[in-house]
Amino acid sequence: MATTPRSGGAGSGTAQRPNGTSQNKSCQFKLVLLGESAVGKSSLVLRFVKGQFHEYQESTIGAAFLTQTICIEDTVVKFEIWDTAGQERYHSLAPMYYRGAQAAIVVYDIQNQDSFQRAKTWVKELHKQASPNIVIALAGNKADLSNIRVVEFDEAKQYAEENGLLFMETSAKTGMNVNDIFLAIAKKLPKNDGANNQGGSIRPNGNETNRPTNNCCK
Amino acid sequence: MAIKPETRLCAVTFFAKLHPGDVCGSNGLPLTPNSIAILGRAQRLKELQDEHLCQYLDVIRGKHERTIVVSEYVGCSLEEHVKRHPPLSLAQILRIFYQVACGINVLSQHHLVAHNLEPKNILIAPDGRLKLFNYGLYFMTKGGAYVPFPVGNIRYMAPERLLGLNGNVKSDVWALAMLVAELVLGLQLWPKLKISNVVRKVLAFARSNNVLEKIAREHQCFEVYQNMDAGLRQLLEKCLHASPGQRPLPRELLANKCFADILQAEQEQEKAKEDESKQQLESHLPPLPLLLRCPLSQIYHLWQLAGGDVQAELKKEGLIRSEAPILGLPQIVRLNGASVCPTRSQSHLMDDRVVPLKLQALLQRLSQLPACVYFPLLHSPRFTSQHQQFVLELQQLPLVIRERDIEYQFHRVRLFARLLQAYPYTAELLQREAAIDIPPLLRGAVWAALLEVVPNSGYGKIDKFTPTSTDRQIEVDIPRCHQYDELLSSPDGHRKLRRLLKAWVTAHPQYVYWQGLDSLTAPFLYLNFNNEELAFLSLFRFIPKYLHWFFLKDNSAIIKEYLSKFSQLTAFHEPLLAQHLSSISFIPELFAIPWFLTMFSHVFPLHKILHLWDKLMLGDSSYPLFIGIAILRQLRSTLLDSGFNECILLFSDLPDIVMETCVIESQKMYEATPKSITHRQHALRSQPPQSLDIGLTDVELKHLQLEQCPRISAKDVQHLLLHSPDDLALIDLRSVVDYGHVHVPHSINIPFATVQLGEQRLEALNVPHLEAQLRGRIVVCVSVIHQNAVEFSHFLVACGVQRTCILHKGFNVLHSIEPNILISN
Repeated sequence: MATTPRSGGAGSGTAQRPNGTSQNKSCQFKLVLLGESAVGKSSLVLRFVKGQFHEYQESTIGAAFLTQTICIEDTVVKFEIWDTAGQERYHSLAPMYYRGAQAAIVVYDIQNQDSFQRAKTWVKELHKQASPNIVIALAGNKADLSNIRVVEFDEAKQYAEENGLLFMETSAKTGMNVNDIFLAIAKKLPKNDGANNQGGSIRPNGNETNRPTNNCCK
Repeated sequence: MAIKPETRLCAVTFFAKLHPGDVCGSNGLPLTPNSIAILGRAQRLKELQDEHLCQYLDVIRGKHERTIVVSEYVGCSLEEHVKRHPPLSLAQILRIFYQVACGINVLSQHHLVAHNLEPKNILIAPDGRLKLFNYGLYFMTKGGAYVPFPVGNIRYMAPERLLGLNGNVKSDVWALAMLVAELVLGLQLWPKLKISNVVRKVLAFARSNNVLEKIAREHQCFEVYQNMDAGLRQLLEKCLHASPGQRPLPRELLANKCFADILQAEQEQEKAKEDESKQQLESHLPPLPLLLRCPLSQIYHLWQLAGGDVQAELKKEGLIRSEAPILGLPQIVRLNGASVCPTRSQSHLMDDRVVPLKLQALLQRLSQLPACVYFPLLHSPRFTSQHQQFVLELQQLPLVIRERDIEYQFHRVRLFARLLQAYPYTAELLQREAAIDIPPLLRGAVWAALLEVVPNSGYGKIDKFTPTSTDRQIEVDIPRCHQYDELLSSPDGHRKLRRLLKAWVTAHPQYVYWQGLDSLTAPFLYLNFNNEELAFLSLFRFIPKYLHWFFLKDNSAIIKEYLSKFSQLTAFHEPLLAQHLSSISFIPELFAIPWFLTMFSHVFPLHKILHLWDKLMLGDSSYPLFIGIAILRQLRSTLLDSGFNECILLFSDLPDIVMETCVIESQKMYEATPKSITHRQHALRSQPPQSLDIGLTDVELKHLQLEQCPRISAKDVQHLLLHSPDDLALIDLRSVVDYGHVHVPHSINIPFATVQLGEQRLEALNVPHLEAQLRGRIVVCVSVIHQNAVEFSHFLVACGVQRTCILHKGFNVLHSIEPNILISN
């Protein structure tokens, strides 16, 4: 594995790997999931990380953290995923998680119009507050229930295009588009050098921006 | 069926209706299995206690939607009784009529209907009392909607029920009249007719003016009809009126003059019985085993502890037969999910046999116990000594063993039942006994008592129905809250949890619903499923005690203070771990919010929460912080070896925590920590702080965040000096001169100005035997300059010194202690 071990003290992340052409490139990205309560954020992560689906996935309080590594061409990409609480009241915690994130998946439930509106609010907030290069994907989840959908595919697609978002309808239950949306994000993230890492922090508390985080190495 | 006289319990079983294939509800979630829905509904029936009703005790789910109902059973059924003692006298028949009507009347008072009255479902106890049996089937199956068979015997079914009109108590009155008519006429209705013909007969009654006469004529006993007691005949004819509206209500039935004699006879018999029991006491006849005088719920609980297994009993009787699963595989599965299965075998058909649960083993097991254990005399000095000895012996065993030890549980259940009866006068005793352990059978009531709940029927008056803005959130959280549990996942469980949450929010206009309140409520609902008010009041008392202000709309100040205190206490008890975690920026904000906001009810399964909260209930608002540290301590070696990512991953998927160790450790820490160390501005206080306490607003959030070590009050230092000086190590950071002038006896003088704190080793201080002097004690850093004490305490934590704290207000506060504790050289 070419990922840099994250253990050890502060600032240990800088890669010390010798440059070699045969070596795969390796990157770590911090990704945050945002969206209304019960739209399936935790389920998407669980499907992506463990390939599982729980019908009665418990609600997330505060936030949960998971990691998953995928390969794109010759690059190993490690996602460090913060899965946040959906309830509006936990909003004040959200900046702690999205600050310094390189990617975000904003999730809504295709059966629920309010959750789509909430997703739009999240996108606005990310554009305003998050790092300017952040890659945002919009996920219309619960696509397995498309027969009772409320949010039309085209409507969401158009919104995503207008706002420069990646867009897919996903289903954590069937697995549809789950890996794909993470792959699409990984492809869109810059992997050539450390240029995108400035100001980022793996640790979610925003005060720690002095810590170098994105440990891309060649 | 041979029923022994000591039989009190029995089981019946049936299958709930299977949902077809892989169908989901409108919310995308799988449909709740019908057996779970039945289980949830049936809980309410357990509360019905009446002399004319067999008490319900338990509903158990088996495989493949099998549902087993455990209930009281006495004597024999009316069906058998009639066979054994034909013909019944008029008085006997009237008694039966009257008592069954009493049963129906009680049910209707609870807004229930039996709808399955028949001689099989009426039991006659040896003393002649009648009890309705299996009367809850219609209710628990939601009028038969959850089961694949019809509820009720067609022979006794009123015509309107055959036409689909259900839920009217008058249909039960019809059924009762039909079975009384059978007794009076001395026959069995249509013994040889096929069901379809019986249906035709019953429907034909709808057009008849006199059903009773028609029955009599059809069965060639018109003569008996004519010679019947006129009053009874009239009453029966009224009850068998085709139109339900014309039939009497149960209570009208009971007031009928036919029963006047019966009523009088009953009263006389009651008196006679009392005399008899007196005589029995005097004559030293072998009385009823004491156990059988205990409440049935206790008997059933003990029966289970004695190894009783309902499913095994049913297997023995051939009511549950296992078959090779391969035989049940579908032969064809269509793309739409429908499948063609082999025809269900005989073992899946309804079998309404009643299986008695044998009590002999239990009776034998407990036969050696003296009567004083059955009825503990709480205030007798002999009780205390005997009791203590027994408890002390068993207290050495792990809790899980104690909870399954029948004799021990018997002692505990009897004791707590008595304590609860006398509550609140026994509050102190109850608290003391609960500190040992709490018997699972009575946990809900014991918790309520520990929380000082006093039912005031206020719950009923709280609005739980008006839509509010939090409804949507509650709606999406409930189907995700402890759904592995059968009760909480049942539709009734959902409804009750929704009511409780809405009631709590309505009752607290200053607070809001935070996700997590659902998990917090779940244990109380689980334990008090049939007593929403008790569940509500327990929650109502629990939150201010442990989570004061946590549910404010803006709770950030409270949470921040709480988590900072948690960090400080971690440094106090686990300095090296705290040091490591802070060095990798693994702050409690990232993992401990769900712990404390839900008092761990969101992170552990119910069975663990119960044991954790058993102890929590005995502590004050600081206790949960020690539970948190106990968890960290249990994962200590892993955490010390891990970096940030590993740590946060570990907590995102919390590994199996050994609850008993966690409980013991947290309790040790709780007891070894002076109260002022846990001081929080936002905790609920029972009395105002005194001059030597830490003042209400003395310690602000910024202090907590800057100071790694907690502060101790002068009062606690004084207390330690007076009562346990060996637990205290006081480090005086003032100059040698000041120290010589005045100091606390046995304190260690380490002048702050002279020390180098660069090197994080105790030896660097050049104080002989310092480590030995500090080990195992509460180390209080005292200075006149607060910052010096803070810096020095940080140094001690870095050196791994446990239980380091700072004297609040510094050395000078010690002058104000009376009587004087200071000495001079």
